[in-house]
Amino acid sequence: MRSRLISWAWGLLTPVLLAFLWEFFSRRSIAHAYAFVPVADIWRSFWELAGNGDLALNLWATLRSALLGLSIGTLLGISVGASMGIIKTADVLIGPIYHMVRQVPLLGWIPLIGLWFGTGVFSKNLIVAMAVFYPMALHTYEGIRNVEKPYLEVGEIFRFGRWQRFVHVLLPNAWPYIFTGFSNALAFAWVATVGSELLFATGPGLGALMLIAQSASRMDVVIVCIVTIGIIGCLMNFGIGKIRKWFLGWHCAH
Amino acid sequence: MVSRLALRPLNVDEGVQASSNTAPSASGIPAQDAAGALSIHGLSKTYRIENRQIPVLADINLSIRAGHFVCIVGPSGCGKSTLLRLIAGLDKEYSGGIFLDGKRIASPSLDRGIVFQDHRLFPWLRLQENIALALLNHDYSKAEKNRRVSDYIRLVKLAGFEKAYPHQLSGGMAQRAAIARALVNEPKVLLLDEPLGALDALTRVYLQKELQRIWLERRGTMIMVTHDVDEALFLGDEIIIMDAHPGRIKHIVDIPLPHPRDRASSVLQGIRLEILEELISIPPEPDRIK
Repeated sequence: MRSRLISWAWGLLTPVLLAFLWEFFSRRSIAHAYAFVPVADIWRSFWELAGNGDLALNLWATLRSALLGLSIGTLLGISVGASMGIIKTADVLIGPIYHMVRQVPLLGWIPLIGLWFGTGVFSKNLIVAMAVFYPMALHTYEGIRNVEKPYLEVGEIFRFGRWQRFVHVLLPNAWPYIFTGFSNALAFAWVATVGSELLFATGPGLGALMLIAQSASRMDVVIVCIVTIGIIGCLMNFGIGKIRKWFLGWHCAH
Repeated sequence: MVSRLALRPLNVDEGVQASSNTAPSASGIPAQDAAGALSIHGLSKTYRIENRQIPVLADINLSIRAGHFVCIVGPSGCGKSTLLRLIAGLDKEYSGGIFLDGKRIASPSLDRGIVFQDHRLFPWLRLQENIALALLNHDYSKAEKNRRVSDYIRLVKLAGFEKAYPHQLSGGMAQRAAIARALVNEPKVLLLDEPLGALDALTRVYLQKELQRIWLERRGTMIMVTHDVDEALFLGDEIIIMDAHPGRIKHIVDIPLPHPRDRASSVLQGIRLEILEELISIPPEPDRIK
């Protein structure tokens, strides 16, 4: 416990040093103070945004968008990955196109998506869902395909049918892979959500707030947004680690 | 080589005889009924490797009486594990016939259980869930399933570890759990593919005794593949000695001693030397294909 506290304290050292460096630059000249907003200003605008509800409103919009894309992408990714893993025909039909499309960076789709679906909520959700879909499908597929033959034989011995084999052997075997995919997907979803808000800049959201602040020369607000995005992403990562430990306890020690 | 061993003719028409001295069960698990006689006629099996036919088993004829404990020993590459997999129904391509109580074996079935060298418990399930999963395709009531699971956990002396995950069990415990999982279906025949091969010497001796106790309690047919001649002598009513390239039966040795046995018995020691001599006489081939 004690050593954990100490390592936490050490982990804080670098950010604190960076903050000092930042403050040092901001005090050098007026021009510097624009690019490196004084820490006190950032702190003040944080309370301002928190007080008037702007931060909560935009944060909530971004979180909701990320969660929606995450759910849709996860469901689709697991279904498609599992189908490719189990059904050979599906692997032959979908596999090549999946691996080809996966190579295209998400940003590459933006012009097409904007053209087809506009710059509204749907396009934003679609981008997040796509960002989540790829890792989920890939890891689910790997998890199903990597099942060890001895386990399949146990299923054969006990006369498992196809469905029983999926539920009792293939899927549990794939859970650790799916979880790894989900950890990646979570990070991608968060990045893609903010990215889509920056690119499409419609409706509320932390990305949109940043754009507005930038055009109003409110660098302090931009910084507040960046720090918030970082902290929330960090918390998500921490949370998924906890869930993994609880849910896949058998695997951690395996 | 002229052997002084008691040879039993390979008579496939041998009658189905249950052991008469059925021990009363201590764990509430019923002793097996008479069924569980296995007969194998003209069984051959070849693998095809790069268009070459590699014979693994050639013309195996065998008849195993219900309730007997049979051990199979032989050099590696003699196809003894393949034979067991064929009996289990895991491997379906063979010529000849394998019959359990007169019915031809074509696929796995709940009346044949198998324990492998690796325990093969699902790492994501607790001990009791692992054992319960074996009953998935039985239509017993939930209460009945629970009763059976706890009966068999008690039989292998793992009570108190129901909630443990496989990685929390020692090698010997995991193997006992695997035995319970194979037995919970109450199969007529239990196949054991070097089940104690990966365990340390002390655990192995302990589990040999346990296996014998379980067998004496249930009196089902058990067929065990092993490298360990002492193990075979301690447990087996008969020992099948196999020859390699291609795998075939060389000898069947009856061990006419009652159970449980004294490992130091002079009769066993005599048979032991003969079997070892015979196994050593089988030349190992440098480039054999597993």
